[in-house]
Amino acid sequence: MMEKILEVKNLKISFRTSGGTVKAVRDISFDLEKGKTVAIVGESGSGKSVTSKAIMGILAGNSIVEGGEILYDGRDLLKISEEEMCKIRGDRISMIFQDPLSSLNPIVKIGNQLTEAMLLKNAGNRKKAKKEFDSVLALLKENCTAAENDSAAVTASVETFEKFNAEAIQMENSYNTALAAADGLQVDMDEFLFLVEKKQKIDPKAKLKEFAAVLKSIKDPFLTRDAESELQAIADKLQQVLSVCPKNTEAGLPDAVTAVLDQLKTCLETVTTRTRPDFFCIGFYKLQKPEADLSKLTVEALNAEAAQYLDEHFMKDFLTMADKGAEHSYRTALEKKNAVMADLQEAYDFFKEGKYDKKTAMEKCKAITEKVEASIDPLEIVKDSTVYTFRTSLEGALQKYFQAVVRNPKEEERYAKQTRRREALIARGRTVDWKVVPKTVYDLDELQAEITTVIQRLMERYKEYIANTGNVDFRVRSTALVEYFKGKASQMVYVVTKKMAREKAIELLEEVGIPEPHIRYYQYPFEFSGGMRQRIVIAIALAADPEILICDEPTTALDVTIQAQILELINRLKEERNLSVIFITHDLGVVANMADEIAVMYAGKIVEYGTAEDVFYDPRHPYTWALLSSMPDLETTEKLDAIPGTPPNMIYPPEGDAFAARNKYALKIDFERQPPQFAVSDTHWAATWLLHPDAPKVEPPKIITDRIARMNKAGGSNA
Amino acid sequence: MSMNEQNEVLLRVENLCQYFKMGRKVNKAVDNISFDIKKGEVFGLVGESGCGKTTTGRSIIKIYDITSGSIYFKGQRICAGTKSYQDAIQAARKELAELQKNGGDPARKAELEAQIEENRRELQRAKFDHQYSDREYARQLTEAVHTEYKAKLEAAKNSPRETAELKKKYKEELRVAKKTRLITKIQMIFQDPIASLNPRMTVREIISEGLVINGIRDQKYIDEKVYEILEMVGLVREHAGRYPHEFSGGQRQRIGIARSVIMKPDLLIADEPISALDVSIQAQVINLMNDLRDKLGLTILFIAHDLSVVKYFSDRIGVMYFGKMVELATSDELFAHPLHPYTKSLLSAIPLPDPRAEKNRTRITYNALAAHDYSTDLPSMREITPGHFVYCNNAEEQQYKKELGL
Repeated sequence: MMEKILEVKNLKISFRTSGGTVKAVRDISFDLEKGKTVAIVGESGSGKSVTSKAIMGILAGNSIVEGGEILYDGRDLLKISEEEMCKIRGDRISMIFQDPLSSLNPIVKIGNQLTEAMLLKNAGNRKKAKKEFDSVLALLKENCTAAENDSAAVTASVETFEKFNAEAIQMENSYNTALAAADGLQVDMDEFLFLVEKKQKIDPKAKLKEFAAVLKSIKDPFLTRDAESELQAIADKLQQVLSVCPKNTEAGLPDAVTAVLDQLKTCLETVTTRTRPDFFCIGFYKLQKPEADLSKLTVEALNAEAAQYLDEHFMKDFLTMADKGAEHSYRTALEKKNAVMADLQEAYDFFKEGKYDKKTAMEKCKAITEKVEASIDPLEIVKDSTVYTFRTSLEGALQKYFQAVVRNPKEEERYAKQTRRREALIARGRTVDWKVVPKTVYDLDELQAEITTVIQRLMERYKEYIANTGNVDFRVRSTALVEYFKGKASQMVYVVTKKMAREKAIELLEEVGIPEPHIRYYQYPFEFSGGMRQRIVIAIALAADPEILICDEPTTALDVTIQAQILELINRLKEERNLSVIFITHDLGVVANMADEIAVMYAGKIVEYGTAEDVFYDPRHPYTWALLSSMPDLETTEKLDAIPGTPPNMIYPPEGDAFAARNKYALKIDFERQPPQFAVSDTHWAATWLLHPDAPKVEPPKIITDRIARMNKAGGSNA
Repeated sequence: MSMNEQNEVLLRVENLCQYFKMGRKVNKAVDNISFDIKKGEVFGLVGESGCGKTTTGRSIIKIYDITSGSIYFKGQRICAGTKSYQDAIQAARKELAELQKNGGDPARKAELEAQIEENRRELQRAKFDHQYSDREYARQLTEAVHTEYKAKLEAAKNSPRETAELKKKYKEELRVAKKTRLITKIQMIFQDPIASLNPRMTVREIISEGLVINGIRDQKYIDEKVYEILEMVGLVREHAGRYPHEFSGGQRQRIGIARSVIMKPDLLIADEPISALDVSIQAQVINLMNDLRDKLGLTILFIAHDLSVVKYFSDRIGVMYFGKMVELATSDELFAHPLHPYTKSLLSAIPLPDPRAEKNRTRITYNALAAHDYSTDLPSMREITPGHFVYCNNAEEQQYKKELGL
C-alpha cells in the first residue's frame, strides 16, 4: 500500500453571488498517493479549479467552505490559519497556473521572480528546524530516561549526540559557504566567457581581479582538499596575466588568459562535483579522534570510515536506547489510547443523543480533545492525519451545527416575510420585478451526523492501532528518528545567499529546458514565447522543492508541439523528484499520458473515478462517454456526438444525476435520485444508475466501442 | 457536385509574403507561400503558434496589405504586393549604374532598361489591382443590373404603374450593387468569440451589420434574414434582441458564425474557431460548420493547431513552419505518408485518448538547423507524388521518393 500524501474528504464549496449561492463543489473525495498523478477532468464550471484552489488556500473571498476536509501532513488545510498556510503554500504544495502570461509579474525580471521564494523561505526555515530538532530530542531523552531508569547514561548519550551534531553543523556551514563561493564563481565565469564570445564590451581586468579575490577566499578543508595549492596557484596566475590583458574584450582574450581560465574551470569542476562529505558521521569521528588527519583520505573513504566508526562506537547503543524510548512512548500513548476509547464511546453516545446546548457541548468537546491529544505518540514521525486533525474537525462540526441552529429560524423567517410581501404585492395587482431569494437552510440531522462521524472515525482508527500492537518494528521508528534529526540538522545550516539562489535558479532554468539560462535570467517575461513562459512558471513552482504539484490546465494556452514538450517535462520532473501531481484539464487526450488515476467531474461531483486504463478502456458513466466521443481522433470520420445543451445552473443544482438533462441514456430515476457510487472494480467506480443491477443494459456509443476495439487491437499487437 | 466544379479554383495564393517591420529588423511572418483552394473543399492550415497561419488568413481577407505576391479570388486579383517588383527594379538599376561606370555591353543595357520598364508597369498594375479590385467587381455588378433592368423596363413600357415600381427596385438594386465589394464574399470567423463581438450591440445589430454596410435598407428583409440565419446556426429568434454577454461560449461562437454566413460568402476563413471552447462545445461547433458546409456549399480555409480536428474536418492540409509552407497534401495522404521532418514531429505530438499507446509514444523532435543542409542545394516546393508537395532540395527529394518506394 502506497503512502497517502493528501486526502480530500467530502469537500463542499459554494460561492455567494448576487443571484444566490452557487454550489461549485458538492461532496467530493479522493486521495493522492506519493509519486502518483491524479487527473481531474471536466468542463469549465465543473468545479475542478475550485478544488485545486481550495487545496492551495486561495479561494476567492465570496467562497464558503460548507464542509469537508483536506488532510495534509497531519493538518486540515481548510481549517489552519493563514500564517500556517503560508508556510505550506508554495513550499510544500506548489501550483502551475493556466495562463503563463498572467501568472508572471511583467515588471520584474525572471531571475528575481525565481529567487524570491527561495530567499523568503530561507530564514524562517532555519529557526523552525532548530526548534523542532531541540523539542524532539528533548522528548526522546525524556522517554528514554523513563524507559531505562539510567538517567546518567541517557543524558551522556544525548549530550554526545548534541555535541557532535553541533560540530557537524559548524563544519557543514563552512563547507556550504565555500561551495557557494565556488559555484558562484563558476556561474560568473560562464557568464564572462559568454559575453566575451558575444563580443560585448566589458572590462576583463576588473573581472579577473574579482575572480582572483574570490578564489583566495575559498578555504575549506573538505572542499578544496588536495586542490588547495592548485587553486592558490591559479589565483596567483590570474594576477600575473593581468598585465597582458587588454582593456576591453572586443578583440577576444589573449591565449594566456584563456589558458588560465580553462585551468580554473577544470579545477573548479573537480572541486564542486565531489561527493558531499557525510558531516553527521564525520562530526562524531572528529569529536572522538581530534588528532586524526582527515585530509589524507578521499571523501568516499572518509565517509565510509566515519560511518563505520559512528556505527560501532555510538549509533548501536544510541539506536538500542532510542528503540526503548520509542517503545516507551508508544506504549504510554497506547495505554492512553486504550483509556480514551471509553471516553470516546461516551462522547459518541452523548453527541448521538442530540440533547445538548452549546455550552455543555463545547465543554465536552474540550475535554475529549484534550484527552485525545494527550494520547498521541509524539515520537511518531509520520503523522496520522485522522488523529492530528481531530480537534479542528470536531470543533468545526460543532460550530457549524450551532450556527445552523441559530441561523435556520432566521432564514425561515426572512423567507416567509419576503414571500408574504411578494404575494401581497401581486394580490394588489402590482408587477413585481424581484424574486424571493431561495432559503438556504441546513439539515440539522445531517450536521449532527457529521459530528458523530468525526468521533466514529477516530474510534475506528484507534481500534486499528490497538489491534496492530504486536507487529510494530521499533527499529524502523528509531532509524526514522535519526534520519529526522539528520534532515533537520542539514536544514539548520542550509543558508541561501543571493548568489546561491541565482545559481540554483539557473540550474532550474536549465532543468526545465530553457537554452542560455545566464542571459534569460536577466530578461523580462515579455521577452519569452508562450511555451518558454510556461517553463518558467514550472521552474518557479519547483523552486522550493515541493512535495505536491498542482497543474491547473498548464497546456491549454499552448499548441501541440509545445504541449507535448511541457507534458514530457512535467512527467520527467515527477519521476526525478518523486512528486505527487494533481493535474487539471478538460482535454482527455492530454490525460492519457499523464495520469495514474482519473476523476471525471461534472457539476461539482465526481461522476467516475478509476485508473487511466479503467477510464479509457472501460468507461461507464454517460458523461465520460460524451467527453470521449465529442473529440475526434485520427480515425474518426462519422459525425461527432456533441453533448447537447449547456451545464446546469449551479445556483439550483438539479435533483438526481446532474447530467441527466443532457444525457440520452438517462433513466427516469436519474431525474429523481442522486445515483450512489457503483463499484466496477477495486479501483474503478461510477455514479450512474445504469450500473444498478436492475438497470436496462446500455451499450456505449458506437464511436467509443469502435475506438476501444481499435486501441485493444493495437495494444495487443504492441505487447 | 460535378467533376468540373470540384476542380474550379476559388482562391489562388501566389508567392505570398507578409513582412512586418520590427524596429530595424524585419519579421518575415509569411514568406513566399503558394497554394490553391478549390471550390467546395475544406483546406486546413496547421502549424505551431507564431508560424504565420493566422497572418495568411488575415492577408487573404485584406486585414493586412501584403508585402509581395498576389492573391486571386474567383479569377480576380484582389491582393497584390509590390516588394518583388521594387527589388527587381533596384537590382537592375544597380547593375545598370555599374555598367555605365565601366562602359559595358550596350545590348545588356537595353535589356536591363526594358526590364525596369516592365517591372514598373507590373508594379503600377499591382497597385491598381490591390486598390481597385473591389471597384472592378462593383462595376461588373452594376453593369449586370443595368442590362437586366433595361430589358425589363423595355418590356413594361406600356404600364406606367409597373414602370414606376420597376424604377424604384432598379434604383435600390443599383445602390446595393455599387456598394457591394468582392471582399465581402470572403468572411472570417475569429478565434475568441468574446473579444470578436461588440458588447454594446445586440445580436441583431451584430449579425445584420454586414448587410447594412452593403446598402440594404429594408428593415423587414434584414430581420427575416437574421432570423433565418439564427435558426440555421442553432439559435432561436428571441436571441436576436439580446447582448453577447448573455450567451455561453459556444453560443457566442455561433453568433460569430452567423455574422459571417449571412453575407453568403463563397469562402469562409475559420481562424481557430474552436480553440477557445470547451471540449463538449467544440464538437457542437464542428458539427455546425459541417452542416453549413453541406447546406450552403461553402469553401472553408480552416486554421487550427489541433491536428485531430483538422484531420477530421479538412480535405487538404497545408503544414506551415516559421512562415514557410513545408508540406501540402490531401489529409489522408498527409497522415499516411508524412514526408517533411516537421510534419512527422507534429504528428508524433498529437495526444491520444489511449494510455497504452501514450506510454509507448516517442515524440520526434524537429530542429530546422540540424535536419536540413541548405547551404548549397537550395530548397523549393516540389511535388513528390501527384498532389503531395514538400518543401525540399534535390537530395531530400530523392530521399523522400525512396521513402515512398518510388
